[in-house]
Amino acid sequence: MDSPSNDGNEDGIRIEGLAKRYGEGDTAVDALKDANLQVAAGEVVGLIGPSGSGKSTLLKCLGAVIDPTRGRMTLGGALIYDNGWKIADLRALRRDRIGFIFQAPYLIPFLNVTDNVALMPMLAGSPNRAARARAMELLQALDVAHRAGAETSALSGGEQQRVSIARALANRPPVILADEPTAPLDSERALAVMRILHRMAREYRTAIIVVTHDEKIIPTFKRIYHIRDGRTSEERGEGRPLD
Amino acid sequence: MIKRLKLPRQLWIILVGVVLLAGLAWAAIQGGPLATTRVTVTKVVRGDVTPGISGIGTLAAQRAYVLGPTVAGRVQRVLVDVGDTVKAGQLLAEMEPVDLDARSAAANASALRAASAVAAAEAQLHDARSRQKLAASDLRRNLDLGSKGFLSASAIEAKRQQLESADAQLGAAEATLTSARQDRLRLEAELSGTRQQRGNLRLLATADATVTSREAEPGSTVVAGQAVLKLADMASLRVRTRLDQSRSAGLRSGQAARIVLRSRAGESFPGRLVRIDPQSDSVTEERLVDVAFERLPDGMTIGELAEVTLQLPTVTKALLIPNAALRQHDGRSGVWLLNGGRPRFVAVQTGARGFDGAVQVRDGLQEGDAVIVYSERELADNQRIEVFTSLNGGHAP
Amino acid sequence: MISLAGRDILHSWDRFVLTGLGLGLLIGVTLTMAGVYRGMVDDARVMLTNSGADLWVVQQDTQGPYAEPSSLRDDVYRDLLGLEGVAQAANVTYLTMQVRKGNADVRAMVVGFEPGQPGEPAFLIAGRRITRSHFEAVADVMSGFAVGERIRIRRHDYTVVGLTRRMVSSGGDPMVFIALKDAQEAQFLKDNDAITSERARTAANPAFNRPGVPGLLDAVNASQTSSHTVNAVLVTVQPGHAPDDIATDIRRWKHLQAYTRVQMEDILIAKLIATAAKQIGMFLVILAIVSAAIVAFIIYTMTLGKIREIAVLKLIGTRNRTIVNMIVQQALGLGLIGFAVGKIAATIWGPAFPKYVLLEPMDAVRGFMIVMVVCALASTLAIRAALRIDPAAAIGG
Repeated sequence: MDSPSNDGNEDGIRIEGLAKRYGEGDTAVDALKDANLQVAAGEVVGLIGPSGSGKSTLLKCLGAVIDPTRGRMTLGGALIYDNGWKIADLRALRRDRIGFIFQAPYLIPFLNVTDNVALMPMLAGSPNRAARARAMELLQALDVAHRAGAETSALSGGEQQRVSIARALANRPPVILADEPTAPLDSERALAVMRILHRMAREYRTAIIVVTHDEKIIPTFKRIYHIRDGRTSEERGEGRPLD
Repeated sequence: MIKRLKLPRQLWIILVGVVLLAGLAWAAIQGGPLATTRVTVTKVVRGDVTPGISGIGTLAAQRAYVLGPTVAGRVQRVLVDVGDTVKAGQLLAEMEPVDLDARSAAANASALRAASAVAAAEAQLHDARSRQKLAASDLRRNLDLGSKGFLSASAIEAKRQQLESADAQLGAAEATLTSARQDRLRLEAELSGTRQQRGNLRLLATADATVTSREAEPGSTVVAGQAVLKLADMASLRVRTRLDQSRSAGLRSGQAARIVLRSRAGESFPGRLVRIDPQSDSVTEERLVDVAFERLPDGMTIGELAEVTLQLPTVTKALLIPNAALRQHDGRSGVWLLNGGRPRFVAVQTGARGFDGAVQVRDGLQEGDAVIVYSERELADNQRIEVFTSLNGGHAP
Repeated sequence: MISLAGRDILHSWDRFVLTGLGLGLLIGVTLTMAGVYRGMVDDARVMLTNSGADLWVVQQDTQGPYAEPSSLRDDVYRDLLGLEGVAQAANVTYLTMQVRKGNADVRAMVVGFEPGQPGEPAFLIAGRRITRSHFEAVADVMSGFAVGERIRIRRHDYTVVGLTRRMVSSGGDPMVFIALKDAQEAQFLKDNDAITSERARTAANPAFNRPGVPGLLDAVNASQTSSHTVNAVLVTVQPGHAPDDIATDIRRWKHLQAYTRVQMEDILIAKLIATAAKQIGMFLVILAIVSAAIVAFIIYTMTLGKIREIAVLKLIGTRNRTIVNMIVQQALGLGLIGFAVGKIAATIWGPAFPKYVLLEPMDAVRGFMIVMVVCALASTLAIRAALRIDPAAAIGG
């Protein structure tokens, strides 16, 4: 199949020497000390670490919701952080260049399914008609198009999850951060989700980082990053096929 | 791309929206320049109107009497009480005679004495007359003798003197008699006066009447003219009525009237206007008239309040409007005429007015004109109005 | 871009509408309070307009006849008629008193007037005008009387023959119009006990009870119970003459006080209603504050209930401005619904109030703008909370 072209996604995401210190002086806490990570466009990697390891801090830095203390971040070939943000509008960055998938779908309850997804391009300035067209495309790709006009509360958990994935993809971000996407699911559905993620990564040339401790899906990663005590280490994964 | 909302919800939302918008529009129209004034309308018709005059009055006896002594004195006895019916001439009360009886006796004695004096004077006159006759004939005889020379001139002179003296005595006796007679008359008159005074001590009823008040009890002293008893002829009860000067045109003696007594509110009695006072009350601006009952009801009391209505001759085939339609506008009196659905004020001249509210229109309207009768507020030319059949007295914003 | 506020409102429309309903009732109360004030001012204006007068002539040095008691002789009007430029001069009396109907009392302002003269009701909504010279009445609908009913004023029973509306005193009491003479008696004639004791006192006074002068006592008693006093004379002015000039003349030459329409309005509105106006003003301020607090609380609660959604929105790149707009638009939407409900409610329940409630369109417009401003300001509390929400909170752990 043809993959849609994704300009600026060639390099996925790369961070080097990222550190985050909370507080000052004696009470300072180094949540991240030295994080290094690189994910290519179309790749799905896992990020595993116990609680307190700096995992969520790393996620927040990757998601540009907090300011790292030092390091470098490159996203889609562009340097976005080098001991200081190189981008003025972080929100626009999050909107256009980073996709978020949460533990729970976190859909907007007062928007219907289509509008939940179409919201992303609309925020970026697309006219409503084009935004909804893009949304339908994604919903079809994720096999939830038949629920396009429904209220989010009418969808099953799995359907909601897929809608949230569609939302994350809507603005064709170079990277998607998925935070425990399979935590509440059983193994069959969990693997289904992973299949979707792999397919989307391939089709839309997106780098996907999956933060997880779910034993059911860890074997499916080809590459895994471990984080411990604020430092990352890379590991080769099992790469079990999903089909 | 068709959004499919659940139909009931969409319907509800639209319903609420429509209700709110409609309600807001309705509320906006209620007040403000778009508001219409509700009115009722009637046509000018031809008919009869019976004007009338009304007033209130009090029952008063036309014939009322005040009985009292002509001189100051003390009341000796009162023989009747309030409410008693008395006949003419009946003795009702008596004053104490005090010394009047004694004075009467004295006057009587004086009169008798005067009568005897007259008798004496008459006897004296008789005597003087006979003496004079004698002296006259004596003189005649002596003159005759004198002419024959039998008597001296001095003897005749003496006889003449005797006649003159007898004449004088006769004159004196006549004067005495006259004076005695005059005396007698005077004393008899005094006696009669004293008797009359004695008679005045007896208070007699001057006519058939009812005693309406007993003002003095036996033993009280009253002055001349002060009332001891007040009487009234109850058959002469009339309603002394006061009519507004401004609304009493067309009064004529003999007009039929209806009388409603305050003590008998439901009944109305027929009556007649019997007298219009030539003097009106300039302070209260009222005319005073007397209205008599055709048949006097029983149990009437003086001073009762009554409402009197006089009907004047009916005016027939007059243009009529209800008096509620009359308004004042710009200092003129008139009505609001309906002209192409909008009101226009026309001044009218009115004529007779009936008690039922019908008013005769003399000038300004024609038969069949539609005039506004009731309105919920003051009107202005060309104001937007809405015609109803009745305003039913409700509140309107 | 879709309207987040609109979607949120549509999504939980029932809660929104119910909240708007509650807020609307509060706004309705506020609008009604303003309407009560306007109604009081209108009562005063309407009373002045409906009296049909250009000048009010009252006792010297008083601000009567509405704000203060005023007493004039009833023949003063004749002097006024003689002044240049005076078209009509009519006696009127005003007295606020209890009017009995059956077993119930109604507080009313009894007005004594002369038919056809200033002071009579300008228009009727039922029945007819007074045709008899005594014991008929025209009443305002607010009194609760119906045409044909008998009511009792002081000593006499009156038949209600006509109804009018918007004829209320400045205190809001309905007016009952009766003939001037009846009203004079009602106002100035005392009750039976007082009259009886007055008569006894007069009879005990030797100066008035002289035996030598029969009839003196009756004359004194009669003068004590006659009433030749009125409260004011209403004057209309001929076209081409200035009321101010005539008023000045009256003040200077007649030892009376005269007020023009403008001056009477000032007396009634500025002085009589001033206290009530302040009270209502304070109440309106309090209501506005309460409304603002309620809106603030409601919007704040709604916002807090959306913390997670707002965090997610911020995370996925929604501008702060968009989120603020959503909150403000919701507040304004709430205000819109509340205002619509309030205006409708006030229009519906306004007529049921015992006092006249006048809802002016300009007040509604002003009220609308104030509601919008208050809602916008009240939303600042929620806006501050929303801005403080950390998008990182969406990323758990």
